[in-house]
Amino acid sequence: MSANVAVSLRGVLKEYQRADYSVRALDHITLDIASGQFFCLMGPSGSGKSTLLHLVAGIDRPTNGTVEVLGSAIGEMDDRSLARWRSQNIGYIFQSFNLVPVMTAAENVELPLLLTHLSKRERRERARSALEIVGLGDRLGHRPQQLSGGQEQRVAIARAIVTDPSIILADEPTGELDAQSATDVLTILKTLNANHDKTIIMVTHDPRARQYAKESRYLDKGKMTEMPEIQ
Amino acid sequence: MGKQLYLVLKNLRRNRRRTVLTVLSTAISVFLIGSLISVYAVFFDNEVREESALRLITRHRVSLTQALPYYYGARIAETDGVVRICPMNWFGGTYIDQRPEHMFPRFAVDQEAVFEMYPEFKAPPEQIEAFKRDRQGLAVGKTVADKLGFEIGQRITIKGDIYPFDPELTVRAIFEGPDDMQAFFHFKYLEEAVGPERGTEVGVFAIKLRSASDASRVAAAVDDMFRNSPVPTKTETEAAFQLSFINQLGNIKLFLLSIACAIMFSMLMVTANTVAMSVRERTREIGVLKTLGFQPGSVLGIVLSEAMLISLVGGALGILITVLVNQALSEVAVQFITGFRLPAWGVLACFATAILLSVGSSVIPATIAARTNIVDALRHTG
Repeated sequence: MSANVAVSLRGVLKEYQRADYSVRALDHITLDIASGQFFCLMGPSGSGKSTLLHLVAGIDRPTNGTVEVLGSAIGEMDDRSLARWRSQNIGYIFQSFNLVPVMTAAENVELPLLLTHLSKRERRERARSALEIVGLGDRLGHRPQQLSGGQEQRVAIARAIVTDPSIILADEPTGELDAQSATDVLTILKTLNANHDKTIIMVTHDPRARQYAKESRYLDKGKMTEMPEIQ
Repeated sequence: MGKQLYLVLKNLRRNRRRTVLTVLSTAISVFLIGSLISVYAVFFDNEVREESALRLITRHRVSLTQALPYYYGARIAETDGVVRICPMNWFGGTYIDQRPEHMFPRFAVDQEAVFEMYPEFKAPPEQIEAFKRDRQGLAVGKTVADKLGFEIGQRITIKGDIYPFDPELTVRAIFEGPDDMQAFFHFKYLEEAVGPERGTEVGVFAIKLRSASDASRVAAAVDDMFRNSPVPTKTETEAAFQLSFINQLGNIKLFLLSIACAIMFSMLMVTANTVAMSVRERTREIGVLKTLGFQPGSVLGIVLSEAMLISLVGGALGILITVLVNQALSEVAVQFITGFRLPAWGVLACFATAILLSVGSSVIPATIAARTNIVDALRHTG
């Protein structure tokens, strides 16, 4: 694997076994994503985009093939090692934000730092910095229900970057947002890529998102295909 | 640990009403268990006092309801090791009415012997002398006197039920001591009133020993003395007698244990359901925590700790309620039962119950949460 390749998938097959049939979510995918890339993976629902993201994050394992991320063959790690590796190297942004409702914005952002040896003060400071990066330095004490959808997603982005991971995975980050909020979120992701040198892998339906990415690919029925003409 | 506690406290504040209700239900179940232990302690966990160790009780071998002849007393008194004997008859009867606040045990006793037999009952010597001199005198425990407002010189009438006789008594002595919830009047007064046939029947003989080490020998000697008579005896220590008296009510230990088990089981089900519901609601959040890098062991620890904290707080509250209720009961006394208390081992048992409840109710939901596949957890809706 080349030094500047952040993610490398080789012949990745992912099948889900059901009671009397199996579903092939990814069909022998081979893909390299360079470090510092803003990579956009598009495709219709059920095409396998999120599954690919899960494999890169190490929250799911391929049925066949290898997944290397930042030089580590994550398919060969045990669950404990994988969890530790993920906390240090991956920031994950969910479509539905998935903030903890009983925690403030700062506490939500601080959550991944509980896995580090940082002191409480250091954790608070880092959470504040992360929230300032996403433009929510004045919303530290707000709970998720006191924030708009766009603000919630920005808190989720702050949570993803607070541990300073090399790779940020974004699963439909604009899926539940209005146009303006979606633009804000995409702008933040682009800034993180350009100014903070984060490798960003985003899966999305949103055709506008493609404009923010440096590279886009299309996934359909578990296979990489040509990007269709998007109206 | 501190970081985990932080998450645990946050989660407990998620649904405050549910947390408070779960704490309260745990507190109530621990209170019920604590109350059962207190009842058990009253019956079976009393310390044998020094004076009590020097006493034996002789009764009819067949049943307490069968009487012994009065003359047995003289023969028992001749047994080596016996210092004093005191015939005692349960009089029963009604004071004013049948309401519990008017109930107190009344015994016809040998007025000359009773305060030597029970030296733990203390009264001013002139009162004891006045009680001995007055055939219709009544010596009453301070607890009863305080409760019913008895004063020295006050006349009261007891309506007889076991005996066809209504003693008219004058309070001559008010004694203090452990279990001072009873009253004594002259055996001779009863005998004269009901005639020689019933008047010479004795319920039990209290025997005072020279030494506690004589207990088994004297008990055997007394029972041997009357073994082949029409009225055989059973002689036992005061503690054993009290226990056999209690056992007439039935197998109290089994009864208490059964209730305790039923409470435990029902609370286990309720708490398990609450914990499972709480975990199920957070399935997606657990998936997020794992995505962030939390280990399955941490998730297990968080869920277990939540249940443990609820149970410990509920347990402490339950113990506090038990202690307060016991205090209130010890002041009013329930029927003739006194001395409600939660012994040290009872406090430990209550906490053990609370912990058992928490672990028992949360171990399965916590294990399921820890093992939940991240992708499945993130897809969870509900």
